Formats: sequence, structure tokens, C-alpha cells
Amino acid sequence: MKKKNSAFNRTFTALVFLFLYAPILLLIVFSFNAGESNVVWSGFSLHWYRELFSDRLIMRSVYTTLLVSVIATIISTFAGTFAAIGFYSLRRRQRNTLNTINNIPMMNADIVTGVAMCLFFVAFFGLWSEFAVWVNSIQTVFQLPERLTLGFGTLLIAHIAFNIPYVILSVSPKLRQMDKNLVDAAMDLGCTWMQAFWKVILPEIKPGIVSGALTAFTMSVDDFIISYFTAGSSSSTLAMTIYGMTKKRVTPEINAISTLLFVTVLLLLVITNIREARQEQLAERRRKLPTATAAEAARYSRKHTFDGPIPKIAGGLAATALIAAAVLVAGRNAGKPVVNVCSWGEYIDESLIEQFEQETGITVNYQTAESNEALYSLLKSGAGDYDVVVPSDYMISQLIEEDMLEELDYSNIPNFSLIDERFKNLPYDPENKYTVPYTWGTVGIIYNAAVVEDPITSWNVMFNDDYAGNVLMFRNSRDAMATALLYLGYSINTTDEAQLREAQQLLVNAKRRGVYQAFVMDEIFGKMEGGNAVIGSYYAGDYLSMADNQADGVDLAFTVPEEGSNWFVDAMCVLKDAPHKEEAEAWINFIASTEANLANMDYIWYASPNREALEQYPAYYEELYEEPLDPEVYEIMAASQETLDRCEMYVVLPYETRALYNKLWTELGI
Amino acid sequence: MKNKLSRLAVPYIVWMALFVVAPIVMVVIYAFTAAEGGFTLSHFGSMGTYAVVFGRSFKLAFIATVICLAIGYPVSYMMSKEGKRFQRVAMVLIMLPMWINFLLRTYSWMSILENNGLLNRLFQSIGVIDLYNRIFGTSLEFFPMLNTQGAVVLGMVYNYLPFMILPIYSVIVKLDGSLIEAARDLGANSFNVFRRVILPLSFPGILSGITMVFVPSVSTFAISKMLGGGTELLLGDLIEQQFLGGAYNPHLGAAISLVMMVVVVLCMVVMNRFGEGEEQAVML
Repeated sequence: MKKKNSAFNRTFTALVFLFLYAPILLLIVFSFNAGESNVVWSGFSLHWYRELFSDRLIMRSVYTTLLVSVIATIISTFAGTFAAIGFYSLRRRQRNTLNTINNIPMMNADIVTGVAMCLFFVAFFGLWSEFAVWVNSIQTVFQLPERLTLGFGTLLIAHIAFNIPYVILSVSPKLRQMDKNLVDAAMDLGCTWMQAFWKVILPEIKPGIVSGALTAFTMSVDDFIISYFTAGSSSSTLAMTIYGMTKKRVTPEINAISTLLFVTVLLLLVITNIREARQEQLAERRRKLPTATAAEAARYSRKHTFDGPIPKIAGGLAATALIAAAVLVAGRNAGKPVVNVCSWGEYIDESLIEQFEQETGITVNYQTAESNEALYSLLKSGAGDYDVVVPSDYMISQLIEEDMLEELDYSNIPNFSLIDERFKNLPYDPENKYTVPYTWGTVGIIYNAAVVEDPITSWNVMFNDDYAGNVLMFRNSRDAMATALLYLGYSINTTDEAQLREAQQLLVNAKRRGVYQAFVMDEIFGKMEGGNAVIGSYYAGDYLSMADNQADGVDLAFTVPEEGSNWFVDAMCVLKDAPHKEEAEAWINFIASTEANLANMDYIWYASPNREALEQYPAYYEELYEEPLDPEVYEIMAASQETLDRCEMYVVLPYETRALYNKLWTELGI
Repeated sequence: MKNKLSRLAVPYIVWMALFVVAPIVMVVIYAFTAAEGGFTLSHFGSMGTYAVVFGRSFKLAFIATVICLAIGYPVSYMMSKEGKRFQRVAMVLIMLPMWINFLLRTYSWMSILENNGLLNRLFQSIGVIDLYNRIFGTSLEFFPMLNTQGAVVLGMVYNYLPFMILPIYSVIVKLDGSLIEAARDLGANSFNVFRRVILPLSFPGILSGITMVFVPSVSTFAISKMLGGGTELLLGDLIEQQFLGGAYNPHLGAAISLVMMVVVVLCMVVMNRFGEGEEQAVML
């Protein structure tokens, strides 16, 4: 007989479960936190749950996630089951070949699958567009859409594609365990192969199908990487929204939605399990009961299980209704005006999006990229087919150079006149044909003055051992190289290979000596605010946001070092052949208004290029918070001309230098 | 009859050709073309530069897989010995964490492991850090745990442990009890029963568990970014960097992906030979 587990063994299992659940418990506990921190408890509150339901971006992505997961699960469960039966009936050699191919999506790294899918879709769209133009040119009966884009459809295809293998994987073993003669017997007795399937095979493999469906659904909900590459600009899943946030701070709203999803699933699983356990008990009892009561028990069980024909029809109807609803929603949205915007993480007062949607009836699909380089990659690979993007100066030049931007019709953007002359006709767009500035600011060093005694004035702290292990460096090539170039006294726009190599060597050496705690982008927020790092270089506006959120005992300060620094303008542009150019210009005009700029300045702490907003902000602040704005804060936000004179703007680098940057940057990572 | 049922496979074969094979072909095409167009092998020539990254990724993924196996096997084994009801609950509990997005769970680890995070606060309040300082004569204010290779391995183990437990468990639970009894009757002690009967019979589960942990570990980029601090690149980071990150070069990215794929497939083939596993991967 089997031996029971010892207490030691049970403790071990319990510890493993504790390990699995500790971070989740933490998440759930902090979803009820009154404060914004994920570490410090400041009292019980349901605040974040209330916030959650009014946060349209999150709710929309939850909806997309559930919709895509449910549809993908239904389709892939059907397709996977049929395919598994088909495979099973094939000859061994064929079956093995097909199984190997079927395993590819699982054996492959998600990122490779995602990228491959993206490349494939983009290539297909290219071919399709040629085909559609040709078809439309030879006949006039119907018109094919000439432009296809990544979106819900491609997202769904990708999810189905990675789900089916899991279904096959859990159905196949059940098929193999099945007695092969059963099917033969059924058919000898006059079943058609369809009947044989429904009456013989299906009941045998049902547990496999159920667990396959469950796995598929779980994989769909959990997936991030493949969605990221195939969802395009108009739909984002919850995972994509979370990814945008994990870089800055995860708002506890996300904890709240995760808790809700978690509890829902928990309840569902508990209910099904109890039901199953009941049935088992009943079956057990039935076996022991005398015949008369057995009939009664059978009647009872029929009443209480979901296996009868009616629940089946109901289930089918529910699934059909859901798909129909999805199609309807998709159809309804198809007619509605939309604009697809890609910006940076937490770079807008989100109430502006709602305000714009209410005023104009245009739906805004708002996504974020990590850095200028990442945005460029998204655009180049075809994964991001946005209308409006908000790149920085040098990236704008590069996009113009590669003919990727559309000229704006400024008559649709009357608010452009409110932009301060200082921010018009800048070198990246000398005749101002493509851009409307969004924000501007400087790069500097942020440090925890509670730990650093003397005020920091030079870039050297980023490279010497004074604070080894506590320094955060940029995780993008242009900014990271710039800190080194500035320290060495070279221009941040140098194309001299020797200087660039020297700068890279400086970074490499510092990295080898363990100066850097991490290479970060928006992760810097959490790390500096929580006092987990002492020094980091980042953008002025973000420093103010960090100072606003700093934990007790942390005293953040900011400086533009004496060697000078970089100053930048981020500007809104419309991409070449954007399908929603008119809506895009309406959006740009709305964001360029003084009210929007004031709201944005207050929310993201970046300086506005809008003349009126810039002047009015201190008064706006005083009215809102009933205390005057600290002039020092205002100076950091909107640097004085004197500071700007010490700073240089990036210009686009020639192709060879960019290639060198890529190479040096990749080598630094090794 | 068989031939009729095999028709059911046709739609999926077409589907696979379109959405599994064709995308991979795209990757291969990219890997062998230069940015300016035309055939080239130069991307593969530069692969030597990245040997360190390959080495590091395979090392960390290997460690994570071994740890997962060391934890996962005993857990699956113990689970299978408990009552039916416990088993069902335990299965649910193992699947359930996947319902909270892995990014979020990993983020949660960040707040646990940070220098100023929960664990360090705990250590501080119960005096572990003081004790450590007194014993080793150091003056630490916290244990640096985040942004280390250890943290990355922890993240991998945490995220992929269920993928090890599920297949092993599903094999063990189906073991024929009479085989074990037979072994006992023939005089084997518990250790020998385990070594000569249970372990060999659970091999298919172990193999697919190893695959399902090793492959995502070797190619992860989110975990290493969040817990590793991006100071030491893994293969996933390198690929992501070429496609989405700071160094746009999809051709190089495709080439690295291709090499990674080939190496992983080779590992799996060798392993499957070693396990003489004619059984396909199993799960659940």
C-alpha cells in the first residue's frame, strides 16, 4: 500500500506553496492599501477599487484580454480536439512529423514566436494590399480594403496559434489511452464516423479537452510577449498595460483588478471542484445503494449535473452570444472615428483623454513605448501603426530623414499659435512642417540628499566608485553615451569614433567595477522614490514627480551638472499615410491648448511649450493647492535660458554613427 | 475508418503551414539577409561576440531548471500520495498563480527584494543584519538581493515551477499501483522501488517538465530586466534589444533567434535520446 507523507514532507510542500503565493498575497494585501506604495502600509481603503472602475484604459484592456482569451480558447479547444483526433488517426511517421511542427510554438521562445508572427503579418499585409489594389482596379462590383493593420484579428490569430498546441498536448495522451477497438466496434455496429466521434471518442477524452481548454485560457490571459508584437496600435491586453506600468510605478489599481480576477477564478474553480466531488460521492453512494433508491439517485444526479442536453445548448448559446457580441462591438467600433496615439509611460493626464473623447466623439487608443529607440523599432517592424507619436527631437529628424512623417495641416491646429517662438523652427524641424511641441526639459542627476552629503555638481559621480552599487544608468544608448561624453568634455553629438569608443570604455569600466546597480528607464521611479538607489540620471520633469512621491527619509535633489547636459523637446507628429489624419490633428490641437497644457504640466511635471500655460502655471498651482509654487521647482521644471545655454540638443547622427552606437551599446550589455 | 477521421487533421495542417511554419520561414529569411537586402552570412559571423551572453543564459536557465526539478519532483510525488480531494485542490493551487499576470508577480518580487524592500525591512527589524554585521565585521545596511543573478534565477524558478510540477505529477499519478506492489513483493525496499520503478516510469514527465522550464528561462527578457537590473544581458534581452530596444537590427535579432532555436532543439533532441523517450511530451 502507499505510505502516507511524513510531517517533514508535508512541511516542504507547504513551504513550496508559500513560495508560490507570497508575492500574490502581497499584491492582494496592497490592493487595499490607502497609500500608493507597494511596501509601506498606510491603512485599509477601497480607494483603488473605486479608481479602477473609473479607469477606462484599464477596463478596456481587461475587456480585450477576456474577449481574446475566451474566443481563442473556444476556437482552439475545438480545433485542437479535432486536430488531435486527426493526428491520432494518421500513420505513425506522418504523425510524428506533424507533432514536431505542432511543438514549435511551445519549444520556441515567446519572443521569437511574437516577432515571427509580426514579420509574417506585415509581409502578408504588403502582398494583400497589392492584390486588393489589383482586384479593385479590374472590377467595380465590390471593393476590397487596401490597407490591413495589426489589431484584434491578428491578436486573436496569434493566441489561437499558441493555444492549439496545448490543447493537442493534453488531448493526445487521452486518445492514446483509449481502447482502439472501441471506435472500430462502434462503426461495425453502424455508427457513422461522426457518431463514433460524438458517442465514443468524446466521452473518453473529455478530461483531456477540459484541461486543455483550461491551459489554453490560462496561457492566453498570462501572455504578454506575443500579444505585444501582434496587437497593433488599436487594442491592448491587460498584460500590455501592466508592462507599461511595471516600468514606472504599478498603480494599486492593477493590484485591485488582479485581485478581482484572481478571486473570480478561485470561486469558479472552487465551485466546479465541489460539484465534481459531489458527483463522485454520489456515484460512490449509488454503487452501494439498493436498486430502488439507485433510480432515485440517478434522477437526482440528472437534475444536478450540467451534462443534460439543455445545459449543452445553453453553453453553446452563451458562446455564440459572446462571439456575436464581440463581432458587434468590433463592427460598431469600425464605423467610429478613432485615433491611435503612442506616447511615453505616464506622460499624460489621463482625464484629458476622456475629455477629448467626450468633446469630439473620437475614440483614443493610447499606448506607450519605452524609449525613442523602442518607438523607432515598433514603427519599423510594422508592429506599431499609430497615427500620432511623440518622439524627441533627434528621433524626429531621423523619422523625417526616412520619410516616415506626414506634413501637418496647421489650419486644423489653430492652437499651434500658442506655442512659444523659442520652440518653433528648431533644428530637428527647421521649417516646422511636421511637429507641434508637447513638452521640453533637461537631463540631469537625481540624488538622495539624505545620503549624499556634498551637493553633486559633476557627471563624475556616474563613473567613480563613491557610490558604487547605488548608481542607476540609462538603459538607452543615446542618453547613456551622452553622460559619458559630457563627463569627458566631448559634444553629445560627436561622430568621432575614437571619442565614442572612449565614452563606451568609460561605461564598460564603471560597469565592470560594479558602479551601476542597474540600467533603467522608468524603473528609476520606484528605485529612487523608495531610497533603493542613491544616484541616477534622468529627466527633470520625472525628478519632480519622484520628489512628489518620495518615501519617508528620502530627500531627492536634482542638478544639471556643470559640464552641461542635454535639453530636449518632445513633439507630436503624424505618421506617413496615417489612416486617421484628421482625428490626429484634432487630437494635437486639443493637447496644444492652454487648458490641456496646464493640466498636463500639473500631472506630469514636464514644462509646456505653450506660452500661456508656461506663464500661468504658478498661479494655476496656487489656486489648485492653495500654496505658492516653490520657485526652485518651477526653475527645475522650466529651466532658465541660462541653464539651457549650458545644454546641447541632440541632433540626428549619420547612419554609420548610429550603427556604431548600436554596436557599442550591444557590446556594453555583454 | 481511420482515414476518415484523419481528415480532421487537414484544417489544422493548413493552419500550421500558415501561422507556424511561414512565420519561422520569415525569421530564417531575415537571418540570412543584410539590412540593405541580399544574402549574407555576416550575422552569424558576429555570433562569437555574443558567446558570453549565450553562456550566461544557458547557465542561469540550467540552474533554474535543476532547482525546479529538485523542488518540483518531490512536490509532485508527495501530492500524488495524498487523498483525491487534496490532489484536486493542490492542482488548482498550482495553476492559479498564472492567473495573475507574470509581470505583476515578478514586480511583486521586486518590492520584496529591493534594498529598502520588505525582506530587508524584516531582516532589519528582527536584527538579522546587525547579527550578520557583528559576525562578519561588515557594515551593511541591507543585503543587496535585487539586480543579481540570484534574483534572476529566483524569478525563473518562481515563474516556471508550475510547468515542472504539472507534467511530472500527471505522470506519477497515473502510475500503475500494481507495479509498485509487484516490486515490493519481489523484495525491493522503498528506495529501490523509487529508483527502479517510479523514477524510470516518470521520465516522460520529467523530460517535458525540463523542456517547459528550460525554454522560457533561456529566452526570458522581462524577468532579467526587472530582477536582474539589465546589467548582465541574457539572450532574450539581446533579441529584444534588436527588435524593440535600443539597437534596432531585426536581421541580427533573427540570426540570434535562429541560433538559439537550433541550440535549444539540439539540447532537447540529445535529452530525449538520453531518456529513450518515445513518449511525446505530456502535460496535465
